[in-house]
Amino acid sequence: MPGKREFGNKIRKLRDAKKAIDPKFSLRQFALAVGISATYLSRIENGDFDPPAPETIKKIAALLGTDADELLALAGKTDPALQKIIMEKPKMMADFLRKASGISEKDLKKIIKDLPDKKD
Amino acid sequence: MEVKYIHDFKIETAAFKLLGEYSQKFGEVTKPPIPVEEIVDSHLKLDYGFDDLPSSLEIPDVLGATWVQLKKIRIDQSLDPTVYPAKIGRYRFTVAHELGHWQLHKSQILENSNSLFETEQKPAIVCRKISAKKPIEKQADIFAGFLLMPKQMVQNKWKEIVGSLEPYVAVDEISDLSARWGLAEDNQPTVQIAKQLAKIFNVSGQAMQIRLINLGLILTKQPERGLF
Repeated sequence: MPGKREFGNKIRKLRDAKKAIDPKFSLRQFALAVGISATYLSRIENGDFDPPAPETIKKIAALLGTDADELLALAGKTDPALQKIIMEKPKMMADFLRKASGISEKDLKKIIKDLPDKKD
Repeated sequence: MEVKYIHDFKIETAAFKLLGEYSQKFGEVTKPPIPVEEIVDSHLKLDYGFDDLPSSLEIPDVLGATWVQLKKIRIDQSLDPTVYPAKIGRYRFTVAHELGHWQLHKSQILENSNSLFETEQKPAIVCRKISAKKPIEKQADIFAGFLLMPKQMVQNKWKEIVGSLEPYVAVDEISDLSARWGLAEDNQPTVQIAKQLAKIFNVSGQAMQIRLINLGLILTKQPERGLF
């Protein structure tokens, strides 16, 4: 069950590991890099506040060098970019996801690998 | 809590030792400002952050709190410099003050209070915004001054700006400022040189002036004849 405490603990842990060797990850400097106040970040980490907006979570993930989707899931949120993808082809994408959710992880990995890369 | 008397000289040594330990691990701190947050984060590895302390502790006017068993320091959000950039000096002084408690009082508290039981709502040390300070708070303030403004560094910067270690007789400037702003006798205005050095050490003008007076670099009374 995702919750604010798990999310807060996770980013605190990741930041702690890095801040011990790099002052860029101190509460104040990291908050400034994310674009939020140190108080807000601190209280999210403490579990006093709910996780921030998805875009902020993606920024936190990028700065901490961790996977954004996992961090979003921990916060009980999904990437707005994914929602957009579903909205564009609602029926087909929903069918695709429903079908994919029944496949084993090993097979899913293989399918993802075999799919052609997105053409822009 | 009643603490043992600690001579200023010992407090200065404790601050110097802390900075030395940090320097050994992360490289010499050769010039101001002193990296207090890095000392908390990298050297002491304490659980550090901001909180709305008056609400969470249900005590008014709390600026900082230290949990000795839980190895945790919290600063009140009213001092968050990412929200209130002008408070940076006050904020850094509060962090250094809590570090003072950590270095000077932690073992005393752990030894003397067999029954000490800390909870999230009950830290061992709570620091409030009050004028009449207990000895434990005064000691932490003195420590903060020594840590943020080490003697040698202050003297070096003074020499760079003034040209020598000649003290500055601030009597006229203080009375001018007081007359202009109508300050009471006991409420001392900050003189220019203290403001200038405060920027370099990233502390408040007031803290810098107190330190310069204590180091004998600013004189607030006319020196007696024949003294120099």
